[in-house]
Amino acid sequence: MTMSRLGTARPTEVVDRSSKVRFRWNGKRFSGFEGDTIASALAAAGEHVFSRSMKYHRPRGILTADYWDPNLMVQVGDDPNVRAGHRLLEAGMDVRAQNVWPSLHRDIKALNGLVGRFLTAGFYYKTFMRPAWLWPTYERVLATFAPGGRIDPDTPHRYHDKRYTHPDVVVAGAGPAGIEAALAASAAGARVLLVEHEHAVGGHLRYSSSASARAALAELRAALDASDVEVLTDSTVTGRYEDNWLAIVQRSHPIAVERLIKARAKMLVVAPGLIERPYVFAGNDRPGVITSGAARRLINLWGVRPGERAVVFAANSAGDAAAADLDRVGVEVAAVIDGRDHRRVSAAQGSPKAVEAVLAGGSRIEADLLVVAAGWTAPTSLLNMAGDRPVYDPAAARFFASDPPGNVLVAGGLAGDGSLDELRAHAAATGRLAAQRAAAVAHRLQARTARARPAEGAEPAWAPDERTPLDRDPHPELYRSDTHGMVDFSEDVGSKDLVAAAREGYDSVELAKRYTTATMGPSQGKLETVNTVAAIAEARGETIAEVGTTVWRPPFAPITLGALAGRVFEPVRVSSIQPWHEANGVTTILAGQWVRPDHYGDPAAEVRNVRTNVGLIDVTPLGKLDLRGPDIPKLLNLLYTNKWSKLAVGKVRYGMMCAEDGVVLDDGVTGRLGPDHYLMTTTSSGAGAIWEWVENWLQTERPDWKVHVTPVTTAYVSINVAGPKARELVGRVSEGVDVSPEAFAYMEVRTATVAGVDGCFMWRIGFTGELSFEIHAPAGHGLHVWEALMAAGKDLGVGPFGLEAQRIMRLEKGHFIVGQDTDGLTLGPSTGLSPLIKLDKDDFAGKPELAWATERRLPVIVAIQPDDAGVVPAEASQIVRGETNEILGRITSSRLSPTLGRSICLGQVEPELAAGGTKLTVLLTSGERISATVMDHHAHFDPAGERLRG
Amino acid sequence: MTGIVRRLRRRPPRYSAAALVWRGMRGDHWPRIWRDTELKRSYDAVVIGGGVHGLATAYYLARNHGITDVAVLDKAYLGSGASGRNTAIVRANYLTPEGVAFYDRSLQLYNSMALDLNINVMMSERGHLTLAHSDSSLRTMHWRAEVNKLQGVNSSVIGPDEISEIAPSLDTSSHPRYPILGALHHPPGGIVRHDAVVWGYARAADHMGVELHQKTEVLDIVCEGGEGSNGKGAGGRVVGVRTNRGDISTPIVVNCTAGWAGLISAMAGVRLPITTHPLQAAVTEPVKVFLPTVVVSGSLHVYISQTDRGELVFGAAVDPVATYSIRGSLEFTEELAGHVLELMPSVSRMRLLRQWAGLCDMTPDYSPVMGFTPVDGFLVDVGWGTYGFKAAPVSGEQMAEAVATGRTPELISPFALSRFDTGELVGEKGAASVGH
Repeated sequence: MTMSRLGTARPTEVVDRSSKVRFRWNGKRFSGFEGDTIASALAAAGEHVFSRSMKYHRPRGILTADYWDPNLMVQVGDDPNVRAGHRLLEAGMDVRAQNVWPSLHRDIKALNGLVGRFLTAGFYYKTFMRPAWLWPTYERVLATFAPGGRIDPDTPHRYHDKRYTHPDVVVAGAGPAGIEAALAASAAGARVLLVEHEHAVGGHLRYSSSASARAALAELRAALDASDVEVLTDSTVTGRYEDNWLAIVQRSHPIAVERLIKARAKMLVVAPGLIERPYVFAGNDRPGVITSGAARRLINLWGVRPGERAVVFAANSAGDAAAADLDRVGVEVAAVIDGRDHRRVSAAQGSPKAVEAVLAGGSRIEADLLVVAAGWTAPTSLLNMAGDRPVYDPAAARFFASDPPGNVLVAGGLAGDGSLDELRAHAAATGRLAAQRAAAVAHRLQARTARARPAEGAEPAWAPDERTPLDRDPHPELYRSDTHGMVDFSEDVGSKDLVAAAREGYDSVELAKRYTTATMGPSQGKLETVNTVAAIAEARGETIAEVGTTVWRPPFAPITLGALAGRVFEPVRVSSIQPWHEANGVTTILAGQWVRPDHYGDPAAEVRNVRTNVGLIDVTPLGKLDLRGPDIPKLLNLLYTNKWSKLAVGKVRYGMMCAEDGVVLDDGVTGRLGPDHYLMTTTSSGAGAIWEWVENWLQTERPDWKVHVTPVTTAYVSINVAGPKARELVGRVSEGVDVSPEAFAYMEVRTATVAGVDGCFMWRIGFTGELSFEIHAPAGHGLHVWEALMAAGKDLGVGPFGLEAQRIMRLEKGHFIVGQDTDGLTLGPSTGLSPLIKLDKDDFAGKPELAWATERRLPVIVAIQPDDAGVVPAEASQIVRGETNEILGRITSSRLSPTLGRSICLGQVEPELAAGGTKLTVLLTSGERISATVMDHHAHFDPAGERLRG
Repeated sequence: MTGIVRRLRRRPPRYSAAALVWRGMRGDHWPRIWRDTELKRSYDAVVIGGGVHGLATAYYLARNHGITDVAVLDKAYLGSGASGRNTAIVRANYLTPEGVAFYDRSLQLYNSMALDLNINVMMSERGHLTLAHSDSSLRTMHWRAEVNKLQGVNSSVIGPDEISEIAPSLDTSSHPRYPILGALHHPPGGIVRHDAVVWGYARAADHMGVELHQKTEVLDIVCEGGEGSNGKGAGGRVVGVRTNRGDISTPIVVNCTAGWAGLISAMAGVRLPITTHPLQAAVTEPVKVFLPTVVVSGSLHVYISQTDRGELVFGAAVDPVATYSIRGSLEFTEELAGHVLELMPSVSRMRLLRQWAGLCDMTPDYSPVMGFTPVDGFLVDVGWGTYGFKAAPVSGEQMAEAVATGRTPELISPFALSRFDTGELVGEKGAASVGH
């Protein structure tokens, strides 16, 4: 075939012949016009091969000349798999053919075609098994056949954004039916969003030569311009989820590379038109064999003459129109083979630029173009996603909606056939119905949700569907001719492959699809689903309706990961004291969403300062839940393993939470601030999960309890003041609280004014093992409170300490950390806190499992000291039996203690090893085995706890 | 002896390169991969569920124990459930010694499967990286590596530089949000062509005499002597199965279903502690192969691999809400894409092609329920959560042994249904929740 630009412009043309656009194709310079697609510009320049097929690397040319054309996938810069039949030409584009080597026209893998008869569908399941050691090599070779473009490792995640909208009616498809439905709905008062896949509205009217079609399009466009309908072009309604939650991909956004629009529509009108289906015969994938739609689009939209001499196979009026268009622009129409008269094309043959049509019966016609109009595929994707199972009508040779939900209506070719006026009238009725139903939905939503502004009047009745159904034109069932040909162009699967698969036992459409990969490629069944089903039906001797079809899954049109991800909203959290930390040489550590101070240069020195003077640590990420209400004790009794009914106001208690399987979930202290007011703290890493856990119990299991939960983790800055001089320091900056040991004892909570900041909570607890006060100050004043403490404690030797120093000190004290010293298998009693598991309570989370667990011998958390005081076994080092590989436990925490001057550990061991004095063998990660001793207490330092009570 | 003779007689036409060429030259069709037979009125054993677990059970019953009068029933087509919806990852780098031993056996069976079943299941031993984005997850990786090493399983913790060498597309820069601090590298892990495993077991079982019945839905399990209604429940025994294609009498029924395991077991009066959650997955359009290994991030709830066809396959954690609905959600794809781009920003322009969901039967301890039940002759191989595919070969082997010997094999004894009465739960939560 020889394509070229027509000498004179067509009246329907969308290209601006006065505006040249230069670009590159496989490194060579080309030019087209503004308004061209990549493919139309290349076709006008005489190019006829655009890609190579996946398996056999057969040359492929234009097939449908639109977004769904499987042969027009190209690489544009760093953008792979660009649809050249759709993407508009831009100046400077670097367009390349994909998956060819060394070049598009001389592709070495085309040699596969020679052995094609052995490479039947699924052949790879039957070979490459021996010798087994060669399989990795075979696999690497097979992987080189992966189709598609290339990922540039330097491609950035460019600007993407999302839009949220709540229209009354979304109309998917802006052909004449979609426009008419949108106009009617809008006129009836609905807020309407009309979404068109192509670059302009109008559907098939855009490339129709008839004057009446042009007039109708002009009229519809004018009406649309004058209406309130919002129109999105180059955008696709790509997913329909529960309750008309719609995903719309907008490719035409001026700034965002691609935008995801999330629309909650009260009504959805599905009017995507029909997709022209290829016809299966020998050579149907040769360049020069194109659909009637492609021929008409090339001629009328872009002024491209698709060939010199054409054969037209027409089974419907679209084929007749294509023949007329060809004739009109001077293409010699050598023959029109009328499919309605049972005439068939059997094969396309010839040299690369010629197409010789072979007819059933054997006669041949020389040409360079074969235009095929064999029928339509109904793109029922959105209906499938709405739960509908479309049914096949053999008389019309396509699928129709069966029973979509009431908030989804169908218009246009998907609903039936008729004259343009009939289709428009039906669509207008559809639009009115959509608007009526949308009003009913809106009223219902208003009545249910908006207390402030109640819905007015009675709910409008759900409008019955009184549309006059469209007729269905008879159409011959044309799927395969008397020869075999290509069914799935993107996957290189032929009808022969499908028949062979069905004979081999893969005879349901799902099995055949999985075995041959038909419909699994980038076109996702748009062109090939019905031909696939037809081939299987033929092999089974059944009808298409009996075989049934596959389920179309979202998305309808592919969407980039960038658009789905949108802008990245993952926050990085820091406390309001962070500027001070940064000014004072902090080294940070990432903990969940938080960036936290790990140390300020020398963690061991920080430890020594806390043990001798006083230190400050920023523990803001500590999870904090404000609890209010009379039923809090019930809640605490349910979630913690210990008892909470008698906690007095001003007191703080430690508690452990277990999940329903008895596994330790979290721990922390909760204090009673007032009669019906408590503050619960959780671990930093568990802050979010425990909030959900609490809410889950309250909302789903105990909805009658009166407890209100507010997460206040970020509302307060938390500062722990620890060390022998902590009381002195805290006393200096606090008002309204007596910090003397008599007035404010260990495990008590007070409200105070700290450094002039009202509304601070202060409690006496001690993770470090030193006398300590934990101050929770309103977050906005955090930095001020911290600086005030630092200034007031200068003479006391106050200094900051980070997470590392805190971890060392808690390990010296033998406090376990949930998630480090415990794991997903650690049951409550293993922690050594069995006295806190009160099985005589009525009920609490995990009680049955804990009751069992207390009767069993479980691994135990113990303190361990290596016999060689200088060796610190890495955390996760395994404890084994002697020289064997039998695992008896593991080291869960280990550090060199600056206080004791030796290595100290916590670990989990089998129960028989838990007694103090037991000798253990620890396998270091280096492979060396060392001996270690189990200690009598968890605390390596100050086991009596005299320092923290001081 | 008769078993061997029957096996020889039914020997399948071998798959090989030579056979492909020979049939290609002669234009011969391959025979049916499995027979299409009438449903008989009685079998020695009935397996419910024609997925990898059911088919593997039937295969090992025939191959290891000579029990061939077996019917596998599936209400749809073979492999229509989770077997064809999972992301096909296999590995053995579990956390508990029991878990490691069990999955390591499964991995061995996968490695020899192509030759055992004479079908190329495309076991791609491409390695498996579990990324650590925090100190605490790095610590867990070290723990798993140490346990694995002691069990003879190849796992080690590697740093960002080595990660970059294995998978250059991963962003190992010092990212503010989810830095890649290290990874558990498990070279024997990889992916398998899941459908081929289904077809391979089906074909091999069929050739040894097992009958495969598709579109055969079990309506009820007939019991007698039990304490519940109609003789069902504890103390009873199985006598047959009612299907949409007629009744079958059989003394043994093995429930190998997923998604509906609780409903099927209830037909025998056996209650299971199972809730069913959807698990969503998605695939992109193909591009030339650039990701040579399996990448998993627990913190980001995502696992990624690239098939030999060039598609990126993504999976995530189970949906939080229990439901039998397998419609995908938009939010899943958005979150997924965000997380994938955290790890690999360069795939921003790749397009999502398809999303789907499968059903996962979750148990309280993230471990399966396998073996005998209080109803005599009714066995279960269920509760496979998100880890059923990688366990299929060993599960089939062990379940077949249980049926044939009437005793619970040691390898599956931790997974007995009775553990929920004694509280001796198995713990693989840490390694299994998103650990693909």
